[in-house]
Amino acid sequence: MSTTAISPRAPSSYRKRAALLSQLRIWSGVVTCVLFLLPIAWMILTSLKQQRDIFTTPPTLFFTPTLETYVNYLTNHDLPARMLNTLIVAGGSGLISIVAGSMAGYALARIKLRGATTIGVIILLSRGVPPIALAVPMFLVARAMGLLDHHITLILAYCTFLIPYVMWLMRGFFKALPEELEEAAKIDGCTRFGAFLRIIVPISLPGLLSTLIFSIILAWEELLFALVLTNRAASTVPVVISGIAGDTVNGANWGALTAVGTMTFIPVVIFALLVQKWLIKGLADGATKG
Amino acid sequence: MSITALGTRPAIRKGASPRASRLADLVARWGFMTPAAVLLVATLAYPIGYTIYISFAALNLGTFTPDEWVGWDNYRTVLEDDRFWDSLWVTFVYLVFALPLQMFLGFAIAFLINAEWKGRGAIRAAFIIPMVVAPVIAGGIWRMLLDPLWGVANYVIGTVGLGPIDWLGDPFWAMFTVILIDTWRWTPFITLMASAALLSLPRDVFEAAAIDGANWWTTLWRVALPLLVPVIAAIFVVRWLGAVKMFDIALAATHGGPGRATSVVNLFIYEEAFRSLKFAESAAMSLIVLVITMILTAIFLRGTRMLEERN
Repeated sequence: MSTTAISPRAPSSYRKRAALLSQLRIWSGVVTCVLFLLPIAWMILTSLKQQRDIFTTPPTLFFTPTLETYVNYLTNHDLPARMLNTLIVAGGSGLISIVAGSMAGYALARIKLRGATTIGVIILLSRGVPPIALAVPMFLVARAMGLLDHHITLILAYCTFLIPYVMWLMRGFFKALPEELEEAAKIDGCTRFGAFLRIIVPISLPGLLSTLIFSIILAWEELLFALVLTNRAASTVPVVISGIAGDTVNGANWGALTAVGTMTFIPVVIFALLVQKWLIKGLADGATKG
Repeated sequence: MSITALGTRPAIRKGASPRASRLADLVARWGFMTPAAVLLVATLAYPIGYTIYISFAALNLGTFTPDEWVGWDNYRTVLEDDRFWDSLWVTFVYLVFALPLQMFLGFAIAFLINAEWKGRGAIRAAFIIPMVVAPVIAGGIWRMLLDPLWGVANYVIGTVGLGPIDWLGDPFWAMFTVILIDTWRWTPFITLMASAALLSLPRDVFEAAAIDGANWWTTLWRVALPLLVPVIAAIFVVRWLGAVKMFDIALAATHGGPGRATSVVNLFIYEEAFRSLKFAESAAMSLIVLVITMILTAIFLRGTRMLEERN
């Protein structure tokens, strides 16, 4: 492929081709991105439609937007209560998991424990446990203990997948920190826990925060445990949505589906975009460090 | 024990007996592990133990407690149940098509969005958005888009003379739909990880390949892929661990239908347990699934480690 040596015109035509290919690559990326966002755009658009604008042939792009469905769902249904439940459960399980998980992740990364490798493998394997294998016994035990439909039950259930997740992510994070940090702290007379609390946690704050936010998102959208362990008082938004989506008796209530969907989605997306830098880094570390 | 060692010891000990300080150290070290260990034993190990217990029992539906030991009966029952085998097959088909497709698309899109230009950061941020749509919402909105009567998808393909397709009513298309929704929801996740992996590839190797006159295809197969193999394997394991749990997309989009055409095993067990109240049989089924998943995960992890060590 040494065309450069043959003709003096080759370099510029080669460069032109390369520039064209690069343009093509950029625009294919943009188009793909738009394609991926279209369903979400359609959801938001539909949520602003009146019933008669939703069911039209052909589907319409031009209509008078209305917030009717939003107002309806926020005032006449128990959606605000469900949202509060989701927030309590997601926040509670996120906080418990970040504390327990980051401590354990630190232990796996830095403290020589007999069998630490085995524990690491078990944690990774535990992420493969099908939730249904936990949901059945949890339902039976919670029922026997009168704990069904309580926030705490769902919070503990979410810990089963959040703690291993946090442990794994934070283990990688702590491993990347220079070891001199703790050594300096130890010389200054800090205990192990003191060093962790006063030195490691403050400098890991961005990583901890993004892991916390990602954990909250994971808990926010969980469906199986929420369906099984709650029914009225502690039930969460995904349960509402699955109810609307699966409502075959009243037919498709797309207005409700899209409005509730949008309301659930917007706060999460804002959070995710706020910490996008850390989120992407967390994902990247998860992939490359293992 | 040499004399020098004996001589230096008392200086370190500083009064406290070595056994006590060792104990204190042990407590301090395992102290970090304790909260997670206690929580995971209570919420993970105990329920799994309970599942094993009820999978060998008959459940009294009056009290919801196991009241009779039945040995392997539950396992025999579910292994003779064609519907269970069907749901395993459905799960297998879903995994075999969805995982490779998502891996391929994920890396291909990562290559596209890694092109250097000023909008790169924005594009990458935009790929976070589908990733945080709850799967149950994803299932719901795609169900709307693919509606046979009012859905926008059939309208769009109709304008180029195709369709209409009965996306959710035909067994083949329903499976296609589930894979499509799952791919829409999860490809961005792979794309973001792959994008970081591609950026971390050493540049000089590619420059060397270009100087040697390697074309694009050779560079991809001989240079990029071998370097990426460990990352691909790691991403695959992460995605696999998520995909085997798939439940909410199938529930919201097709509810396992038509018939049981898209009833993945998690959905099937859920229905058996909480609609038909067959808790003991469900426990047996979920343990079978647990064992299969663990074996496959262990194989994949072993494979990943081997690929890492080879490099």
